[in-house]
Amino acid sequence: MAISTTRLAILGTMSDLHTQPISYDLDALKKIVADLSPDLLCAEITKASWEQDDLSQASLEVREALAPMIASMDIVLIPVAPDPREYKDFAPRGGWRQRIVKTFDRLLRWGQMQANDAKTINGFGFGAFCHTVCWLTELFWSSDEKALWEKQNSELVENILQAIERDRGRRVLVAVQCQRLHRLLPLLYARHDDFKIVAYQNL
Amino acid sequence: MALQQITVAIGGGHELDRAALAALVASLPGLRVMPINHIPFPQVLIWIQFPGRELPRLESDTAVLLLAENAEAYSLPDTVKGLISKDETPEALGVAIHQVSRGEQYLSPSLATAILEQRHAKIQLTDTQQSVIESLTEREREILQLLAEGLSNKGIASKLYLSVRTVEGHLANIYVRLDVHSRTEAMLVAVKIPKSTPAPTAGAVSGL
Repeated sequence: MAISTTRLAILGTMSDLHTQPISYDLDALKKIVADLSPDLLCAEITKASWEQDDLSQASLEVREALAPMIASMDIVLIPVAPDPREYKDFAPRGGWRQRIVKTFDRLLRWGQMQANDAKTINGFGFGAFCHTVCWLTELFWSSDEKALWEKQNSELVENILQAIERDRGRRVLVAVQCQRLHRLLPLLYARHDDFKIVAYQNL
Repeated sequence: MALQQITVAIGGGHELDRAALAALVASLPGLRVMPINHIPFPQVLIWIQFPGRELPRLESDTAVLLLAENAEAYSLPDTVKGLISKDETPEALGVAIHQVSRGEQYLSPSLATAILEQRHAKIQLTDTQQSVIESLTEREREILQLLAEGLSNKGIASKLYLSVRTVEGHLANIYVRLDVHSRTEAMLVAVKIPKSTPAPTAGAVSGL
């Protein structure tokens, strides 16, 4: 039996900003995922938490929108987070570096509020802005923090690749914080012999 | 891209039961409630089992999901694709509707257990089934064992981190090989499989 090519798309999310009165709120996130109806949804929750039905450590997107929504649908959630830490958890915890990082965080949040909708957040223009702000932010992280962030993203990509390998020819949506997009995409493009990366609208 | 909604009608039971169920179904993503006699016909009819109310004869391919109090309805009409217990969660109802809408059968775990308990002892595996079981891959064996636990296709897929389509592909293949024609028959075979029987490793894929 011929197996069709796996199609993979990444959907950038915005953590707690989805609870704000913007177009890309939690309902919009749910609608996008429901409309796409991927076979597999790779999301930011650890395997242990998912299997214990413990959403307390999951990202807000998973806890408040994705997990409840897919429960009645045919979408299967693949927990791909190696650990529960989010982008903000890698920031310095004190001193002048923390203050600068907080300033960049406010800038990024301002940009996300302006971008407002999912298409823009996942578009090229906002991607470049987000990448630049994250690059500036990470200049003020310690080398240990940077290494941990890189390691976490590499492990997350490995978990995505395992899911693809285990079940070929499926439609896979990866929903992750938008700060991860410019980390994950190069890692996935480097390994995309067995799958095709598409824009989320084209999944 | 808008989600292709599954159309669902509700019948049987009392009027209040139907209204409550309609509100619940309408709140689940990807489902749309319509009248039972709507043209084009609804894809799924949820029939609330109730004494004195007979399931109507359907002229369409509508799949019937029977909302049952218990597992007394063992011999079901061909049109009944699924049997769901009233003690299931709303999410399980959503999964059941999706499953029967694709022509797959659905059986609630509690009802499956009741059926298995009643019929388990009467079933003997044929020689062909014995040899097929020995040739199952590790993945097929896992799927059959989860089927025997009464899990839905979504439940099996979630446990194994596979898509529902992949699980349904495996199940269709297993049914043909075991020469069984229903989910219940497959479950009855599955409970006879000793868990310790070694399986060939070819085709098996490791977990996450």
